[in-house]
Order: sequence, then structure tokens, then C-alpha cells
Amino acid sequence: MATELTAPVETAALAAAVEGLLDSAEPEGIYRDTRECGGGLLLAALLLISPPTPRAPKTDAR
Amino acid sequence: MAGQAQENSSLSTVVADVAGGVALALDGEGGSYALSALLAQRDTVALAAIRVLGADVLAPYALNGGAVRGGSDAPDSQVVRRALAAYPPGADASDVSLWSYRGLVEASRAFLPPGGEDWPVEPQAGDTWVRTDPWPKLAHRASQLAALSLPGLAPGLAAGLAARTDDLARGFVRAVRRRDWLQAAGLGRWLVRMPDVPDTLGLEAGLVFVHRMSGGDPRVSLHASAARCFPGGSR
Repeated sequence: MATELTAPVETAALAAAVEGLLDSAEPEGIYRDTRECGGGLLLAALLLISPPTPRAPKTDAR
Repeated sequence: MAGQAQENSSLSTVVADVAGGVALALDGEGGSYALSALLAQRDTVALAAIRVLGADVLAPYALNGGAVRGGSDAPDSQVVRRALAAYPPGADASDVSLWSYRGLVEASRAFLPPGGEDWPVEPQAGDTWVRTDPWPKLAHRASQLAALSLPGLAPGLAAGLAARTDDLARGFVRAVRRRDWLQAAGLGRWLVRMPDVPDTLGLEAGLVFVHRMSGGDPRVSLHASAARCFPGGSR
């Protein structure tokens, strides 16, 4: 009796699982464009090697 | 929720088992092929696995170019009929589900023995997406429908995808870079059958790489074996 009652539920759950496997979403992933990555690296490098901000020379107040 | 997750898990396991058996048959290993012999249990999960793999469960018969021995009551015919009856696409089924069902019906008609009982009528499936989808989405869907790349199935779909060979090639590269081996292998199957694949894609070596990197995923193995068995391009 229990089997008869649960069989339609199991089939419905399996039907949903079938649909899920057939039309599964694309796995999450980070896709980076090489040119964008290269541009980012170049910008970071330029910032690192840039000379320090010029400051006004110290003058003795006395 | 837990029950659904359990169904998914057990179904995925059976799908992997059947896919592994089909891949072995395509590689010429494991003796003569019989789908019904692959199914350890003739229960609803096994039928669901047939529905998930679609036409691919009959791929070894496409390789032999002949129908299954026996009449319409051959075990393979019976089990495929039961799978088609148990899991028809619902009213809100996706295009992928509809196409996959169509593919299994077409493959049954082509590779299983004709009998007194008719196969189900193929449902209408939309194909606008083949022309309008942006290339990443097109590649994802085409990969899900890789079983339809078997010879003689869905010629209209194959022609529509062939018109977008470059987009599928882009999708192949993208899938490899994302380490989505299943998608890459599925796209590779379509691409090996297309005449205008750019040589610079390195498809043959790419498929070997994808197969190796997948770590023995049976569904990837199935795609890789089918790509080797059913070339059609001008490489």
C-alpha cells in the first residue's frame, strides 16, 4: 500500500530531476577576457612604478 | 527538498553508469552492446536515465548501421518505449527537453526494429534560438543537445548550427577556459561533423585534452568517443 501511494510522488520527483538534468544551468564560473586582464595588469604596474608625488621643499620657519 | 536532492543524486549515478557503458561500446570494448543489459534495474530511475541521455543510448547501433536484432518486442525496444511513455515532455517543457525527446524518438525509429506498434509522435520544438541566441547561450544549448549530432538525426537543427560554426567554436574555447569539460565535449561533437571548422581551433587535440582533464567523467567520455566514431567534417 505504501509503495502504491509513494510511486506517483517518486515519478513526479524523477520527472523534475530529468528536466533539471536535461536543461541544467551553466555552472557558475568567472570568465575573464585576456585583454582585459592584460590591461588591468599594465595599469597596476604603471601605478607601482610611478614616481612619488612631488612635494614642496621644506623651509625652515625660523 | 532532501528527497529531490536524493533523486538527483541517484539519477546522476545511473546516468553516469549508462553513459560509461555506451562509451565502452563505442570504443569497441565490452562485447556486443545491448542497452537493456546496461540497466542493472528496470525501474523508474533507469528509465529516467534513458530519457536524460536521449538518443545517445542508441549510439552504438548508429555505429553498426543496423537495427537491433529481434522483433519489436526486443528488450531494447521495450525499455525505450517505456522510457518515452514514462517521461514525456510536460506542457512547460524547455526546448532542450523537447528536442531531446524528439531525438530519442527519431533514433528509435532509425535504429530499433520496426514493429506493429508505432513510436510516439515527435513533439514540435522551437528552433528560433538557433538563429537568435548570443553565442555563449547558443553553445550551452547546443552542448546539451549533443546527442542529436548522431548521423541522420535532426537535420534541420544540424544545418542551423552549422551556419553558426564560428560561434560554436568560440563556445568550445570558452568552455575549455571555464573548465566546463562536459560542455566542451558536447560542442566538440557538433564541431567534428561540421565542414567549416577553423583549423586554428585545434579541435582534435582539444577533445583529447578535454577528455583527459575531465578525470574520466563518463558523460564526457561518451561525447569524446562519439566524436571519434562519427566524424563528418572536412578535417
